[in-house]
Amino acid sequence: MSLLREAERCLGNLQRFKTLNAFINSVRDERALLEGVREADARRELGKTKSAIDGRLIAIKDNICTLDYPTTCASGILKGFQSPFDATVVKNLQNSGAVIVGKTNLDEFGMGSHSNQSRFGVVKHIRAGLNGETLSPGGSSGGSAVAVASGQCHAALGTDTGGSVRLPASYCGIVGFKPSYGLVSRWGVVAYANSLDTVGVLAGDSKTAKDLFDAIDGFDPQDPTSVPVSTRSRIADLRARRRRKAPLRIGVPAEYNVKELSPVIRQTWLESLQHLQSLGHEIYPISLPTTQLALSAYYVLAPAEASSNLARYDGVRYGASGDANDAVGGVLYAETRGKGFGDEVKRRILLGAYSLSAEAMDNYFIQAQRIRRLVQQDFNSVFSLPNALLLTSYDDSISGEAESARSSVKVDVLLCPTAPTLPPTLESLNGNSPLDAYVNDVFTVPASLAGLPAISQPVGFSGKGSNTCGVDSVGMQIIAQYGDDELVFDVARMIEEFGRARSQ
Amino acid sequence: MAGGNPSVPAAVLRRFLCRGCLRKAAGRQARLLSTVPTVPFRKQLKDEARQRRISDGAAEPSRQRASDTATENWELTVGIEVHAQLNTRHKLFSKAATSFNDPANSHVAFVDAAFPGAQPIFQRETLVPALRAAIALGCSVNRKSAFDRKHYFYRDQPAGYQITQYYQPLAKDGFITLYEYDGIAPEDGKEVRVGIKQIQMEQDTAKTIHQPPSTYLLDFNRVSHPLIEIITLPHIHHPATAAACVRKIQAILNAVNAAVLGMELGGLRADVNVSVRPKNQPEEQGVGAKYHGITGLGQRTEIKNLSSFKAVEDAVKAERDRQIRVLEAGGVIEGETRGWALGSTETRKLRGKEGEVDYRYMPDPDLGPVVIAKDLIDHIKHSLPPLPDDRFKVLTSSDLHYNLTPKDAKTLLNLDDGDRIEYYKNVADEIRRRLLGSERGDGGGGGGGRSFTVNDEAVTKVGKMTGNWLLHELGGLLATSGTTWEENPVDETSLADILTFLSLRKITGTTAKTLLSLKFYGSDSRPIPQIISEDKLALQPLSEDELRDLANEVMRGNEKMVRAVREKGEVGKLGWFIGQMVKRGGGGRVEAQEAERVVREILGVGLARRS
Repeated sequence: MSLLREAERCLGNLQRFKTLNAFINSVRDERALLEGVREADARRELGKTKSAIDGRLIAIKDNICTLDYPTTCASGILKGFQSPFDATVVKNLQNSGAVIVGKTNLDEFGMGSHSNQSRFGVVKHIRAGLNGETLSPGGSSGGSAVAVASGQCHAALGTDTGGSVRLPASYCGIVGFKPSYGLVSRWGVVAYANSLDTVGVLAGDSKTAKDLFDAIDGFDPQDPTSVPVSTRSRIADLRARRRRKAPLRIGVPAEYNVKELSPVIRQTWLESLQHLQSLGHEIYPISLPTTQLALSAYYVLAPAEASSNLARYDGVRYGASGDANDAVGGVLYAETRGKGFGDEVKRRILLGAYSLSAEAMDNYFIQAQRIRRLVQQDFNSVFSLPNALLLTSYDDSISGEAESARSSVKVDVLLCPTAPTLPPTLESLNGNSPLDAYVNDVFTVPASLAGLPAISQPVGFSGKGSNTCGVDSVGMQIIAQYGDDELVFDVARMIEEFGRARSQ
Repeated sequence: MAGGNPSVPAAVLRRFLCRGCLRKAAGRQARLLSTVPTVPFRKQLKDEARQRRISDGAAEPSRQRASDTATENWELTVGIEVHAQLNTRHKLFSKAATSFNDPANSHVAFVDAAFPGAQPIFQRETLVPALRAAIALGCSVNRKSAFDRKHYFYRDQPAGYQITQYYQPLAKDGFITLYEYDGIAPEDGKEVRVGIKQIQMEQDTAKTIHQPPSTYLLDFNRVSHPLIEIITLPHIHHPATAAACVRKIQAILNAVNAAVLGMELGGLRADVNVSVRPKNQPEEQGVGAKYHGITGLGQRTEIKNLSSFKAVEDAVKAERDRQIRVLEAGGVIEGETRGWALGSTETRKLRGKEGEVDYRYMPDPDLGPVVIAKDLIDHIKHSLPPLPDDRFKVLTSSDLHYNLTPKDAKTLLNLDDGDRIEYYKNVADEIRRRLLGSERGDGGGGGGGRSFTVNDEAVTKVGKMTGNWLLHELGGLLATSGTTWEENPVDETSLADILTFLSLRKITGTTAKTLLSLKFYGSDSRPIPQIISEDKLALQPLSEDELRDLANEVMRGNEKMVRAVREKGEVGKLGWFIGQMVKRGGGGRVEAQEAERVVREILGVGLARRS
């Protein structure tokens, strides 16, 4: 199929699926857009294609800055905000020949798990529930996930702070990949929780996801947390030295087999493991004891950073501002911020402001940082590949701790579900407490806290009738050691064949 | 240094500013000049000396102020926080240039204005002046330091937080020694050692320009200008010493090129923490507040944003007196933040404890730790320019040739941000070089039989003489004409010429003053040697006989005075004879020294010891 035909099909779907509300802004100039695609087609004919995504329509989550479209973060406070610069990832995509099709809807500033916390309305799942209910597409990159699932774009960028790419990928039956922290530049990515934020990719299959990742992977001197070239080559050395003869050792973390786990998901997990075993790989039960604590730690740390990052939205230099008086009741910016932010954002700002306050700091923020360190040690103790970040650290005690926590069984990757449940109906969320929404992140948060690469790969259900909600697949999550992103894709491909065969 | 910036020497500017900014710097000179107040530093020193005499002499109790009696029963304790703008080319976290008085919002990177998605990049070279300051202040530099966010909402704070170093500062445990000549309170004796708790790096805020009634204009050029905050221990017990401490910190930062804009230009700001407690209160009473490990102190208040040395001294004094008044009236001191307006007599409450901000310090998740290798610290230690105390020692030591009085040395060091002392050294060194050179040159030639001894003696006096001429003669011309040092028209060579001729006794002091005045008012562009030779200003000394004749002539009409000297030993009257001889000699032919020698011989009074 020519690039042009694919692009036209996407544009058609943009119209057709408008009601899913996947985009906040899209296609400014259709002629120019198609012209760009035609040029890529011409390059392809001449064998001079720029990259695997040359001429492909890519959607961008609306918390990533673009010059061509406003960047709203789905927030009232940034309504109509035009960033004066492109994010590095956007530049990277354009340099690879990709065409930006628009900006996708999300939970405000990335805070949410169902893409229902947007100033621009909820995002709807492409499938309806068994009784026609609207399903949650997952969040916060729900707009990107739905855009991909409904063919409105070739692939999309999302952001993943605690699972915001993987969860919607799982709900929407597509691939969602979160790279190792620091591999992809965050310059121009509006910060939610800097120490956890990553730019991830959403695509229909693992190869497309990998193509997109390859286009944005690289050191960026504008991002202080971007992994430098020296560390990248250290990672490559470590990976090269690993004995790469089959079989792979695949770990199954016991702590992920919770009683709340949906039976169909448990079944699919089991079948995926059996498939890998049938390919000759070895399955090992392992333990990540701090998994239970990780979610609590995440919901202390992420809001703490968010409360700090969102302090800049005061309506003074950009964005929406309140009416004339910016110090209502003697409180500076109270009106602007009160009107501009949605409820979930306000909730997390308050949570974060509290956990950083002098009286709560020691009991919340510091404790959560300790847990984060333990989570990282848990992972380091089960992976056979050493953590490249700890090898030449100036603080030798860290690697010393990792040594002492050495576990007997070492594995190459972990396989577990992406989420404990299938997508809920949006209606069912209404009566829920915010805590219920947070629980959806329980399987994705640990890899975020440790900065590890993880992918959600859809696997179809085996028997009909086991489908209790209207979808026919669920995401299996593959997690690997820091920097072992390639291996994550390798394993994703192995279960992709299997999953695809069954979902058809 | 001619043409240099009034506050930042041109050489310094060249080193730290980008070319574009340097051009702007050149253009802003005119503006700056008009804003620089002439610092009456000598006057201040005199005033301090006078006060010292007053308080030393118990004979004048009536002149003691009422507050002095109150302070007899109370001990004042002061700790200071100094914020100094580092002398760097870039901002702390962006490549935007640092600037001063440039068009508003002309140096603002995306991150400086806190645009969504923009990230800070620590500019490593800002460490250099910060480390120089830390080392000059005797601190130990932490191998690892880190940046934290301090949260509060204010218009001048675009991100809603300031990036500072709260949990792991750059350096700690330093000290600064203040001596008598630094202007400390007389009660402090010869010296005081003030501990420095820590030095941290942080961002400056934007400049807010209030346009009444309700408009605030914001200039983000200053946002993220690198600052260091220097926190002293509460080791200060007198207002004058507090001011001396800030003044000395500024001098040290300036000397090591860490911070070159002084208080008067807003490059340095101070907050002071003030408390009082009853004197002779035993420390182990277990009561009272504790700050930085110092126990048994009274409740402190903080006075923010003091922008001159005088403000530091006056504010501390006023706050001390206020606290004593409150306590003596049976009241309680509240821990609060107070302000001080220039020229006022009272500090005023800004916000109380209930209005205290919880800054919610959080390690900045974008910025990694700063790890400083030992070799960098060693390098900076070894390449550190001499500190003010060292320079002071060089200038005042009698072993070394400058041999200035402590007062003159201190004055020269502090004038014009160190430009005056550079000028001084260049001139004095040049004269010395020439005198030693002419000694060799003239030694074999004829006609200069006494030049050998003259030079020997003259060389030892060069330092003092140059100091006198620079401070008093040239200083007087500058003051009476209202000229700033930057506009000083007398170049180093001209002054060195004049003073060399004077030292060699080839011209008289009167001629030297005339020449200086000619150069100062720019009425004669010829080089000094040419003026002397063409205008025949060279001293043609009278012979011994001619001198004696002249002396006798002067005495002849004034028998009464001659008797007064001869019989009553009223040597004070000698000056009149000498003056008459110089005057009547005409054409600058009589040197005062020679005249005195002859008069003394004739009148039989011994030669005064040359000092």
